[in-house]
Amino acid sequence: MKASLLTTAVVGSYSVPAWLERAKNDFLARRLTRHDLDEIHDTVVKAAIKDQEAAGVDVLTDGELRRDNMVDYFAERLPGVEVYHASKKSAYDFYESVVRSRLATASLGLVGDFRFLRRFTDRVPKVSITGPHTLVKRMRNGYYPNEEAFAMDLARVMNGELRELAKAGATELQIDEPYYSGFPEDLPWAIRALNVLVEGVGARVGLHVCYGNRYGKPSWEGTYRYLFPAVLEARVQQLTLEFARRGEDDVALFGEFAAPFTLGLGIIDVKTHEVETAEVVAERIRQAIKLVPADRVSVNPDCGLMHLPRDVAFAKLVAMVEGTAIVRRELGG
Amino acid sequence: MIVHVNQFERGRAAPSGEALACVLDAVEESGLDSRTLASLRVHLDWIQYRANFRDPVTVRRATERDGQLLALAELAVDLRQAAAHAIRDDVSAALAAIGAEAADDRRVFLDDWAPLRDSIIWRFNRLFWQRLGDWEKATGRGFEHALPSGRSDANHPDAVADAVAEFWTLLRELEKRGQLPAEVFAMEIGVGTGGRAALWLDRFQALDEERGTGYYPRVRFLLCDYSLPTLDRALETVGRHRDAVSMIAMDALNPLKALAFLRYKILYIHLTNVYDNLPTDELVRRDGRLYLVEARAYVSPANAAGIAREFGIAPDALRATVDRVLEVGPDVVEDRARGTTFWRAVWDALRLEERLVALADVAEAPVPPGLHQGHLEALLDAAPDDVRFQLSRGAAESFVNTLPLLHPRGYLQVQDIFVTSMDEYRQGFRGPGKLDGSVVNWVNGALLAAVAARAGYDVHVAPFHYRPGSRTSILYTTQRD
Repeated sequence: MKASLLTTAVVGSYSVPAWLERAKNDFLARRLTRHDLDEIHDTVVKAAIKDQEAAGVDVLTDGELRRDNMVDYFAERLPGVEVYHASKKSAYDFYESVVRSRLATASLGLVGDFRFLRRFTDRVPKVSITGPHTLVKRMRNGYYPNEEAFAMDLARVMNGELRELAKAGATELQIDEPYYSGFPEDLPWAIRALNVLVEGVGARVGLHVCYGNRYGKPSWEGTYRYLFPAVLEARVQQLTLEFARRGEDDVALFGEFAAPFTLGLGIIDVKTHEVETAEVVAERIRQAIKLVPADRVSVNPDCGLMHLPRDVAFAKLVAMVEGTAIVRRELGG
Repeated sequence: MIVHVNQFERGRAAPSGEALACVLDAVEESGLDSRTLASLRVHLDWIQYRANFRDPVTVRRATERDGQLLALAELAVDLRQAAAHAIRDDVSAALAAIGAEAADDRRVFLDDWAPLRDSIIWRFNRLFWQRLGDWEKATGRGFEHALPSGRSDANHPDAVADAVAEFWTLLRELEKRGQLPAEVFAMEIGVGTGGRAALWLDRFQALDEERGTGYYPRVRFLLCDYSLPTLDRALETVGRHRDAVSMIAMDALNPLKALAFLRYKILYIHLTNVYDNLPTDELVRRDGRLYLVEARAYVSPANAAGIAREFGIAPDALRATVDRVLEVGPDVVEDRARGTTFWRAVWDALRLEERLVALADVAEAPVPPGLHQGHLEALLDAAPDDVRFQLSRGAAESFVNTLPLLHPRGYLQVQDIFVTSMDEYRQGFRGPGKLDGSVVNWVNGALLAAVAARAGYDVHVAPFHYRPGSRTSILYTTQRD
């Protein structure tokens, strides 16, 4: 059995406790200082790392616990984006934001987050980044002639950050693009922007596409068939998709189109509190590797775990790891 | 003493003034001590329900959790019921009760102190829907005749036509994007007579045929109710659409429990006058302190004696007999017809005594499912300092257990009576009242908005403009993004 066979990973976010949500909201209401919130973030990130390690996950993240949501963390750091800080009272809501001039190149602060993560784990650290298509859909465009031009320039700016991450030692990066599923007609230019984003980045890059996890519910429904063949042009090494909630029919698309990247197989449903058993996880993997060779599959939840209670999120990760171990043993035996 | 005038309708100034004069006279003569007087609140209400749970003049005492009396006391006058010639005596008697250590123990209590959500009135409510036929046979009229307009707004043809057009448009948009599911699920919770479902299906089929879109054969219309007799009746009403309809007996509090296999699959969910008929709690804030309203049901000594005499029951056996009727049904009293008469007589005579139980802080409040303490704090932040409001527990529970059934592009419509902002709680009486044999309550829309926001939806409330003078509104959801 190869050491890397059926690597287990998280997609990105980890459970956000209610008290952390309140702390974030208190910060927005100016009842908590930035310094105190940063200290809280440092502490919860360490706890999230420990949970992922204890569950036995191979590739882990900082749980994205410093982020309010998948957009604002980037919107606030991109020079040229105006963020209206009075526009939200709840951390999870999106800020109203608008770009009014050409985006300038600047650090987005992800290297610091990565270094913090690496300091507290000896597992493989991963950093996830919201992709340009999704950001373009959430930030108002007051400068560029169209969404594609906006996305291309975003990709140019963020590419610098990805290169810096790789220089800092990041070997696993992930681009999150859930809005592909809502706007499949954008796919040709969205993939072009993605390729600008990852150009020259010396790390393994995965692309995560789901059907949305906003407020712990899907934003769209359909089939991943819309991704093909356009997604085959993406210069990424892995495509990470959700299957636990939706069923595994679309796994066959990987074989049908001879996908040139590995499959991040979503086998944990993040939209229900019901914890999968290890055997259920194992069976989902068994079905998938009938269609995609096991050495081209890694295992992960459908999406981030932020909307699940901590005990449920942890139990699901444990089930994922134990279920994967069952199949690894079968393959090794 | 602080006087609250909780109604602002024109033409009611005179009765308010007369009542207040009586109260002031009675207070002067009452001999209440200054500590009690300083903590006395007088509420002048106008209860819009002809049948309700209040005597014309009532007293609410504040207590600690262990029942120890606190200084705060409330004297409430229903200006609609209070007869000019009797109000002075009623108020004097109420003030005497405030001064006394114990309440009038000649009343026949039907249950013990409990939060409103656990009151016996909800058992009566359930019996009504389970034995609707018996009740209607006894009254000689359908339950919808008790509604203010004599019929349900749910069945207004223009409203149904608009709802169908909106739904058809959604299907069209989904089809254009290649996202139209093979099976199109629509659901109605609380089906009434089935009239709305029949109208909806008639209209949808006609529109579909007119436009040639072929959606009707894909429709799976779920009729959901906890009352089997009601479902049976509704199924008859939908008649020729039977092949498109499924009947599901379920508790409106948790649709997800019965329909988990349809999570994220239902494109349209509609409820009419369901939330106003689900258990609720009430919170009161006075002088910065929170109180939970507890109630116990009683029948006045005169009414209890009359009912006991008519049905040959010892007055002290009334509570046990009522309990058996609620448990087993009206047949346990002589025969079904007589039992139903007994049931109606008790319901008619039933009143609620209330007390305000002090809470140490918000953390002790019974937060409805789907919300946490922070949401309740936000709700209180938006509320007037002195306020009594509903924690529409059943509505919130139902709402939060229905939303996960919605398809990502689906929506929920709730036709009901809503309080849309916390300020409205100081502008009138919001329930509970009696509607025929059932309970009716206004629904805290601000609370539902908080529940919805947490679940990823915004809610909007639009007046029901199809019938002039209607108090009904339509709450609908849109995806929060």
